[in-house]
Amino acid sequence: MSATVFVLDVEEFRPLVTSARAMSGVAVDGPVQGYMRITAPHALEFNRKALGFKPAVWYGAMTGGMVGRIVEFGRDTLRIEPAQES
Amino acid sequence: MSETLIPNPPLSGVHHTARPTWKLRETIEFYRDKLGLPLVHAISARGWPEGHPDFLHFFFDSGLGSTIAFFYYIGTDRPEYLEPRPSPFYSATHTAWRVEDAQALEVWRQRLVAMGVPIQPQIRHEVIESLYMMDPNGYMLEISYQLRPFTSLDSEDAKRTLEAAMQLEDELKSSGKPEVFNNIDAVWSKKGHGIQQAFAETEKVST
Repeated sequence: MSATVFVLDVEEFRPLVTSARAMSGVAVDGPVQGYMRITAPHALEFNRKALGFKPAVWYGAMTGGMVGRIVEFGRDTLRIEPAQES
Repeated sequence: MSETLIPNPPLSGVHHTARPTWKLRETIEFYRDKLGLPLVHAISARGWPEGHPDFLHFFFDSGLGSTIAFFYYIGTDRPEYLEPRPSPFYSATHTAWRVEDAQALEVWRQRLVAMGVPIQPQIRHEVIESLYMMDPNGYMLEISYQLRPFTSLDSEDAKRTLEAAMQLEDELKSSGKPEVFNNIDAVWSKKGHGIQQAFAETEKVST
């Protein structure tokens, strides 16, 4: 079981990838068909201010798709846990 | 999917969009004087076809051959269902004009402030940055510049997002279970599983 986030390989979402590369225990690969993949065998957590995201981009940050369960999506913190079923 | 052999010649941008107004002077003074959009055309006519009120239909130039137009139906009152409401369902119908760059948007901001037009906080979206205001009728207006051009990545991604959402809508209709599609996470998840598959296929090929 892992938590996975896909990030369209475009400028406005790139901080997700940059930020994930610096996280321990988190793998980043791709692009495949235009998407980078961020994956971890544990929860993934992102901080809006660290990403430098304004609210409009922050609240759409998962638009590339994900596999997992969003357990927190507040003004500044996004936490995705591994899906229970897969 | 419907198919036809008849082509669709390219559209050349917007000629006009039109909305009704029951505030003639305020509308003209707002678009012509405060925004400075030239009044380029006005139709005044007896109501037709039968049953239509007599009307004025007037057009303001909004650049590159586009206009924004209004109907003023003489002797009528605004029906209750067209009154502005503080709801995203209402402001979803809006007009967004393009300017060239950040500098042009900033000059617009300064002009609107100087003209006493209330503007809402500027928003930086994924590919555009925008300022918003309301016209005297309560219609939402937006002025934006595009941060980067759209690419094929954007259109492929849009397709994946909306295919996932349409599948969920179909599943919702056929199951009748609201929980099938009652938040955006469902779209992200369905889309994510599709992309996961693409990664898996790539790994299969490379091993």
